[in-house]
Amino acid sequence: MFLTRSEYDRGVNTFSPEGRLFQVEYAMEAIKLGSTTVGITTPYGTVLAVEKRVPSPLIESSSIEKIMEIDAHIGCAMSGLTADARTMVEHARVTSQMHNFTYDEKIGVESCTQAVCDLALRFGESVEDDDALMSRPFGVALLIAGIDEKGPQLYHADPSGTFTRYDAKAIGSGSDAAQQSLQDSFHKQMSLIEAHTLALKVLKQVMEEKVDENNVQLAQVTPEKGFTILGEDELKRVIEGLAA
Amino acid sequence: MALFAPPPMYADPTMAADKQHAFNPYSENGGSILAIAGADFTVIAGDTRQSEGYSIQTRYARKVWQLTDRCVIATNGFAADGNNFVKRIKQRLEWYEHAHQKQMSIKAIARLTQTMLYGNRFFPYFAYVILGGIDEDGTGAVYSFDPIGSYEREACRAAGAAQSLIQPFLDNQIYFRNQTPAPGAEPFVPGRLPLSTVLGLVIDSFTSATEREIAVGDGLELYVVMKKGRTTDDLVGSDNLIKNMQVQELGALGEGGSERTFLVSLPLKRD
Amino acid sequence: MGSPMEYNGGSVVAMVGKDCVAIATDLRLGQQSIGVAYNFDKVVAVNDKLYYGLPGLATDVYSLREHLRFRVNMYRMKEEREITPKTFTHLVSSSLYEKRFGPWFIEPVVAGLPQPTELDPHPKPFISTMDTIGCITTPKDFAVAGTAADKLYGAAEGLWEPDLEPDDLFETISQTLLNAVDRDCLSGWGAIVHVITQDKVVTRRLRSRMD
Repeated sequence: MFLTRSEYDRGVNTFSPEGRLFQVEYAMEAIKLGSTTVGITTPYGTVLAVEKRVPSPLIESSSIEKIMEIDAHIGCAMSGLTADARTMVEHARVTSQMHNFTYDEKIGVESCTQAVCDLALRFGESVEDDDALMSRPFGVALLIAGIDEKGPQLYHADPSGTFTRYDAKAIGSGSDAAQQSLQDSFHKQMSLIEAHTLALKVLKQVMEEKVDENNVQLAQVTPEKGFTILGEDELKRVIEGLAA
Repeated sequence: MALFAPPPMYADPTMAADKQHAFNPYSENGGSILAIAGADFTVIAGDTRQSEGYSIQTRYARKVWQLTDRCVIATNGFAADGNNFVKRIKQRLEWYEHAHQKQMSIKAIARLTQTMLYGNRFFPYFAYVILGGIDEDGTGAVYSFDPIGSYEREACRAAGAAQSLIQPFLDNQIYFRNQTPAPGAEPFVPGRLPLSTVLGLVIDSFTSATEREIAVGDGLELYVVMKKGRTTDDLVGSDNLIKNMQVQELGALGEGGSERTFLVSLPLKRD
Repeated sequence: MGSPMEYNGGSVVAMVGKDCVAIATDLRLGQQSIGVAYNFDKVVAVNDKLYYGLPGLATDVYSLREHLRFRVNMYRMKEEREITPKTFTHLVSSSLYEKRFGPWFIEPVVAGLPQPTELDPHPKPFISTMDTIGCITTPKDFAVAGTAADKLYGAAEGLWEPDLEPDDLFETISQTLLNAVDRDCLSGWGAIVHVITQDKVVTRRLRSRMD
């Protein structure tokens, strides 16, 4: 792909003669540089897991935040340029609050994902009075997990503004291997505990360092408690179970 | 033509230079609306007279509209504002269905109604709104609003020209106000009356209002929204029909709702 | 200041039953939104077959009541008989019309059982009401007046039926009054109901919500 590079990768809104938007494709590449992120749906809730890269022992690992709450019933995990995700999560949060304010009900997980994806394509040159927010596409992909009347769901949203629903999905640098191992081990009747273990097992396979409570993060969305990030103790317990 | 109000009394008519023409964008079009919730149905009714002052503009103007399979809206006050509000609500319902792939619940429509009414806080729709229908767990629901969006869920509500006539009657018959159950008898619970009783109360309310309130009369349109799977025998059974009463089932508006809405129409007393 | 008819608040209702009549009043006396007393009886007995209620401006309630007491006593002495409900209605009416251009701010309600006479051995129960200048109405069902008049109309239209026995008439007029005044800020604070039959008058004081 990079061999055929041409002048068409300059403008963010310019198609190449083959019908490609290079800047968007490059943005998708940026995600493959990001840390590995995994999501798994079970009948009892959806699980998110991320790898936290801690390149220096001087880094306070708890300050690396790659899983965020969108609403009480929706959360997301990211891979890529995490700074870009803040804009998207902020938009998703405002959208779900507005929905709750206007309709006195929780926003649907798909509607929330759609709102994020609407934002993803608002880049390029802004026309007068037009509020295009970004000069370039977002360099981040999200795994959006949530529960609504349709049950637990997991969506993948990428910089092209496309979203797809998954039972289980891995993104980021180790995504190819991780996705393969999800495909091998996932089954529809998984318990939450099984999903925790599988998510970390998959991360473990693709991570260089040894998995510990500082370099991974686990979160879940359940019908009972909504979105929660697992605490250190719980995380440790899952990691211990992994070794056994 | 009352939209163009006469100049205020204090303006001296002999002084042409002082003549002022105030434009009054509101009018009061009479009529009354009413809704009562049952355990597995709701009745929403309105008369069909539309008047301005002592003139009758039409003997048939609708005040009650079906919004979804499980929600009906009634407006009273300034007819133009009411009709326009219903139009906008319907538009928002369509947008919502496209965005979220489902019909809006009555609870969500109620909140949307508040947001839309309050959005016009400083130039309000002069419309008193009542929503009636079936809520998410299949019980009858009535929501009532003031013109700027204050709202409340209730077992029953009357609004409009005959509100002051009908509401005390409903307090007594629906909320059992000033009534005490006989010793050892079941306590009264509002919102549990059978459909035939509720229909009787609604028709009596409007007959009474027609008797004493000039702005109410001509016809009565009464919507009955029923929970899915509920028997319809107590409505469509011919022995329940009052003279000149017509019952018609309104088709489903969305897929899968399976709540059923009936329109009952009858003339109001003409003497 | 608002209308004198709404200054003190209060309401009266009368109803016809089978060989009986009933008249009921609330007990509130107020000064606009302030409640002043909850023992302000607006219904007066002329005799044990004839009662009347005077809802409206409280000062005029006293004046008109004294005026009528004087006129009824004079009538009784001159005529050496009790005044009939119909005659009494005309007495009230002409008293009101005397003040055609500076009226008593009162809309009276009259309820009575006429005595059987040779000419009319089975007289019908009688109720009547007037506007502030004495224009008479004699309904065959019920009469209402006061600040809760519109609510009373609605409740009475819904609850009243023909030929009620005294006990049922009591229940009907009580429910009508209580539910109407509960929706009126200026009426309420307790009530008194009189049910008049040929052999007795039953007077009951009703407790109601005090807000």
